[in-house]
Amino acid sequence: MIKLTNISCGYENRPILKNVSFSLAKHTHLTIFGLNGSGKSTLAKAICGLIDYKGSITINGEELRTLSHRERARRISYIPAKIELFEQYNTLEEFVLLGRYPHKASFQNYTEQDHHIAREALKTMKIDSLAARSLHTLSSGQQQMALIAQALTQKSEIIIFDEPTANLDPANSLAFALQLVSLREKGISTILITHDLHLGHHMKAPVLFVDNGTVEYFADPTLFFSDDSLQHRYAVTFSHRALGVVYD
Amino acid sequence: MIKVIFFGLFFTLLLYSPFVGTAALNLSELLDPASLSHRIFVELRLPRVLLGFMAGASLGLAGLLFQNIFRNVLMTPYTLGVSSGAVLGAGIAIKLGLGTLFLGFGAVTLFGFVGAATTVLLLVWLSRYLKRAEHESLLLLGIALSFFYTAALMMIFFVSSFIESHMLMRFTMGSLSVIGYKEPLIITASTLFLLAGMWIYRYELQLLALSDEQARLKGVNTEKVTLILLLISSVAIAALVSLTGPIGFVGLVVPHIIRLIYKRDVSKLILPTFLFGGLFLVACDTVARSVEFGSEVPIGVVTSLIGGPFFIYLIIKGR
Repeated sequence: MIKLTNISCGYENRPILKNVSFSLAKHTHLTIFGLNGSGKSTLAKAICGLIDYKGSITINGEELRTLSHRERARRISYIPAKIELFEQYNTLEEFVLLGRYPHKASFQNYTEQDHHIAREALKTMKIDSLAARSLHTLSSGQQQMALIAQALTQKSEIIIFDEPTANLDPANSLAFALQLVSLREKGISTILITHDLHLGHHMKAPVLFVDNGTVEYFADPTLFFSDDSLQHRYAVTFSHRALGVVYD
Repeated sequence: MIKVIFFGLFFTLLLYSPFVGTAALNLSELLDPASLSHRIFVELRLPRVLLGFMAGASLGLAGLLFQNIFRNVLMTPYTLGVSSGAVLGAGIAIKLGLGTLFLGFGAVTLFGFVGAATTVLLLVWLSRYLKRAEHESLLLLGIALSFFYTAALMMIFFVSSFIESHMLMRFTMGSLSVIGYKEPLIITASTLFLLAGMWIYRYELQLLALSDEQARLKGVNTEKVTLILLLISSVAIAALVSLTGPIGFVGLVVPHIIRLIYKRDVSKLILPTFLFGGLFLVACDTVARSVEFGSEVPIGVVTSLIGGPFFIYLIIKGR
């Protein structure tokens, strides 16, 4: 279980999150919505230890700050919305294998089992045919799939996806949605940050709405997806017949 | 195949190198320990080739390390002002007329070491005040430090005698001239130390080269690993520059060529960079010793003549 208590954080002197608190039971899913700039990604980065925060974040009762870098990576993985990589020449398989780093003993090589796990993740994401290609030759959508495969390889208890479908075509979005459900069935807690209302609706799981750095809504999805609620929160009118991937 | 031809060519030059120089060797006398040719070959030429190889390997490895840690192909100890720091240290020792030996080393060497090591520590300390994504600013800091050092060196030139100025000028040009094996063996040790450090941390380097965020998300203690690797490389570079003077652009050119040939990530480039760095500098030195200018051309001049245009090419290419 992950529990956030009074989390406040930001960049330099610009506070973003103010006293955010919520908890998520084991093996469950949470979808986080929010307007642009509301603090969704900042929240994810605080949970992953990428930025300092005030307050407390615990996983199964352990305070995150007390964990080593590797221990933290074994518990949480984060797939950022976009990646800018300096190194161009990793092959896709080498890149995905890096997800095993937190499980590897210091100064040791990756084992045959690590390689096996990486290849399985490539197959799961249906990108195993690209395994020998260099990262820079892949499209942004394929790179997104690579990041997801890397996170699967990491085998952490919690996976946070930050706008994972932003670069995916409708077919891959659907494949991703199925993957998300299957992860939950395998006992992995998943947190999805997205603007894709269809995808969030499909997950049939609690919804958290971040507004201006605070938790404005954290409850059952039914109420959130009502016409009035959406219109109130996004200040636009929604059509149920709008074009989008039908996940159900 | 390209790799074999490429390395084969440079390796041939390595074998040819000890036979090149101002004094012609009498090949039939080489095996006679009492002959002059034998003494020149064993006490001057072979140590020089060893020093050249290890110096090039050190510079190449340090360049590869800096470029991947800071994720910028223009980052090398030379472009960050580490060599200028060594020159200033040496300049101070020359001006003060210090000839005292400490553990068998001249004051010029020791002061050069302190100058280079201080610069690396200063850069590490200053980089803490930069935002994570602002490694370009570190390059500007290095340039600013270089300007400062050059100005301080000009002051020393200004108040120096003719002889002091000449000594200082020769030091700034870089030189692989060496007698005996003491210096080459010290540089061999510091280079192997750097090679071992980078090899041990190759998987961390592989992640750091992707992005700082990627490395931390996968569980790398980025601050600790970066500091350890920078300290190891600063010892190697400070030891080298204090003995040979600044030898520019090897750290820039070598990793770039290796990256172009191998097209692999940094963890697979460590050994090739070590090897090619060494071969490249020995080749440059062979050229420097082959050209007739009354005396040999300083090695730092040769590498900078090759590296300068290459640096401009890299900037224009936009990476």
